[in-house]
Amino acid sequence: MSPTVSRKKCFDCSALEDNKCLAEKTVKLSNYKPGQKGQIVQVCGDSDFRLRMLEMGFVRGTEIKVVKYAPLNDPMEFEIRGYHISLRKKQAAHILMREPEIAV
Amino acid sequence: MKQKITVALAGNPNAGKTTIFNALTGARQHVGNWPGVTVEKKEGTVTHSGRKIHVVDLPGTYSLTAYSLEEIIARNFIVDSAPDLVVNVVDAANLERNLYLSVQLLEMGCKLVIALNMIDVARGRGIGIDEAYLSSLLGVPVILTNGKKGIGLDSLLETIVFEVENNQSSDNFRRFTYGAEVEDELEKIQNLLRHVNYSLEGPAFRWHAVKLLEGDSEIVKKIDSGDDRKTIREQVEKSRSHLKNIFGDNPEIVLADARYGLISGAIKQTVQIERTDRVNLSESIDQFLTNRLLGPIILFAVLYAVYFFTFRGSESLVQYSESFFAWLGANVSETLPEGLLRSLVVNGVIAGVGGVLGFTPLIAFMFFAIAILEDTGYMARIAFMLDRVLRGFGLHGASMLALMVSGGIAGGCAVPGIMATRTMKEPKERLVTILVAPLMNCGAKLPVYALLIGAFFSGDRVSIMFLLTLISWAMALLAARVIRSTVLSGPSAPFVLELPPYRVPTLQGLLIHTWERTWMYVKKAGTVILAVSVLFWALMTFPDLPPEIQQSFQKKLETLNSEFIKDVGASSVIQTPQALENFEKFTKERKSDNAKDLAKALAAFSKSGYKSDNDSNQRYSLMENPEINTDVAGKYLVLRAKRLEVENKEQEERLRNSFAGRVGSFLELVFLPIGFDWRTNVALLGGFAAKEVVVSTLGTAYSLGSVNPEKSWNLSEKLRNEPGWNPLMAFTLIIFVMLYAPCFVTLVVIRRETGQWRWTIFAMVYTTLLAYAMAFLVKTTGSFLGIGLV
Repeated sequence: MSPTVSRKKCFDCSALEDNKCLAEKTVKLSNYKPGQKGQIVQVCGDSDFRLRMLEMGFVRGTEIKVVKYAPLNDPMEFEIRGYHISLRKKQAAHILMREPEIAV
Repeated sequence: MKQKITVALAGNPNAGKTTIFNALTGARQHVGNWPGVTVEKKEGTVTHSGRKIHVVDLPGTYSLTAYSLEEIIARNFIVDSAPDLVVNVVDAANLERNLYLSVQLLEMGCKLVIALNMIDVARGRGIGIDEAYLSSLLGVPVILTNGKKGIGLDSLLETIVFEVENNQSSDNFRRFTYGAEVEDELEKIQNLLRHVNYSLEGPAFRWHAVKLLEGDSEIVKKIDSGDDRKTIREQVEKSRSHLKNIFGDNPEIVLADARYGLISGAIKQTVQIERTDRVNLSESIDQFLTNRLLGPIILFAVLYAVYFFTFRGSESLVQYSESFFAWLGANVSETLPEGLLRSLVVNGVIAGVGGVLGFTPLIAFMFFAIAILEDTGYMARIAFMLDRVLRGFGLHGASMLALMVSGGIAGGCAVPGIMATRTMKEPKERLVTILVAPLMNCGAKLPVYALLIGAFFSGDRVSIMFLLTLISWAMALLAARVIRSTVLSGPSAPFVLELPPYRVPTLQGLLIHTWERTWMYVKKAGTVILAVSVLFWALMTFPDLPPEIQQSFQKKLETLNSEFIKDVGASSVIQTPQALENFEKFTKERKSDNAKDLAKALAAFSKSGYKSDNDSNQRYSLMENPEINTDVAGKYLVLRAKRLEVENKEQEERLRNSFAGRVGSFLELVFLPIGFDWRTNVALLGGFAAKEVVVSTLGTAYSLGSVNPEKSWNLSEKLRNEPGWNPLMAFTLIIFVMLYAPCFVTLVVIRRETGQWRWTIFAMVYTTLLAYAMAFLVKTTGSFLGIGLV
């Protein structure tokens, strides 16, 4: 199962670079493994979801660490801004990240 | 000086808002619902330096957009009810995200006091906060509090009173500016709003402008109803697209981003983080509790423990309250004369209301257990671990708890189960959970299963019971899936679930939580149940049998009596109907019930009557002759049995003649394909009051009198020998009882929790249709394959 960012949904995406979707140059948060951390590049998806994520502190440049996967591999648990939050993989796939690094 | 101050408590979920609220108001609080919705509204009062402070606990929210019901409620209260001051409870250990709400509150122009809570937790994590500097940056007082230990409450109250009395207007909303481009557009919209002259004040103009710029659906609706909506809408559209062009993103995103920017700035200047070597306790606990292998095992152990605690823990209390109502019923029976009034009070009111209030302790125990799960933070972990399984059926991780309590392990109850869904925030998922919870095998269905299994499947009870558990789960999940893809379709709410750090709950908090929810149940359920109990009583009592039929039954009884007197008159003192009546009264007082005691009673009775009866010596010897006495006693027992038969037959006729019985007979047409006769139908109607009533009503309908659901073996025997009954019929009825309309207590709770009659009616109709379809399937498949016909 590989969650995708739908190009159609993102037609008014502002983050296109050289007319290319950012998703092609970045790593989806859903592909991070437990213990990895990295910085947010862009939150995609519909406006409601993006706003909600922003309100929860998912702002560009913020560091997210993957704490673990749920026992059945989905949802995922993250640490962001000092608190823990859980998102489904489908939603995490809308969060584009820099290359992960191993958290200390 | 205002006599009464109104203060609203706002804050993120898990910020310790409720603890502060409880610490402030103690027992002086009142819980209700926000108008028109089922979100809990808590209010309380506290008196400080002679001022009465009315505290309203707003729902916990992360933000004040129109994203969820809770946010709209919180926002509308602040805008419409204009509290004198808002106390914003902020979790010091989670400052950044918490301040996002604070900034929005400031933007609304609220007079604000920040209660910086759980500073000890923050310090433990090496987070140092310069609260004085934070206060001057935000322009609002910041008070360090600890709700659990009651620290800082006095100075919080002091500050509230001071601020309300001395700080007349707040201009903090001017502190936050979004940069020239945004401010220009805000100014344009504000000017229009002013021009149109909405009844807004200073800060509210700005806030409405901000919300319009963000495209907030609620506020757009509000403005849309005004006269000059067109000019405003045009300006808003223009501003939005202008900003979109500049920033390349929707204004709401730009503004949210900007708020976090402001917060980051404030944090940098006021917070110092030292790296500590201390392990985060909460994370270490989660190493076990959400562990891949151990997690699910512990989860099911916890769910079982909740179940066990709720049903076993409350068992003796439930028995006490049930026996109290039984005692009350018996006493009233003795005081009131026989007749309609007694029947109404005992069989209608006491049996109905007692049956429901009887399990109040169970409800209280369940709420206590759930309060522990919520207040410790484990509830979020349950949702986290089970989400993958349940979302496939359109449910939510938190649905599990509700389904378990409803009877996921046979023997629960849908009433507390449905009330347990209060912990769910996602409206669609919550509604579906409520709708399918009644399909589980609740404790009241078990006596019906026991009766039918006992009669027809005596060989393998355990495996049948297990099969029934599986069937009810399959049905509930299937129904959820179907409902979610038809009547309740649409995308599920984004699963954004905070996993708060584990905390030790306070006993006060747990008790207050339990009490509030239990009391609400008693209050609401109690009144409706009274009405419905009386209605059911009337349906099963009226119309009474025609007098000639009653007389014919009376005559039969008299004939039996006179035959008995004829038979024993020669050898005992029972020679007239009057003597028989006296003897019966006498035995009743002595509580003689078996042949041996009756023989002794007869001897004593004869002796007591002897002196007034100067009769021959022959009779005296009769009284002393044990053999003759035993013989008469035996015959008397036979008489009693025969009379009971007649009386039961009369009851059966009475039931058949009642409204309920007539409906049952009429339903024979509808139930023809699955073969239920009027007796089963009337029992199913009775089961609508409470499922176990199916057994006792079946008993009456089969002329066995009112059968105790706990001891139904004679009814089992009867059914086994009745034509038309076979294992297939029994299994069909079991399936029907499992799935058909929830009992009315459950329906009352569904009405309460969904707030809508249409969902209540839907729950009643779809379950019955499902029951009919499944019963038909079982019946026809069984008949076709020839299973269970003998």
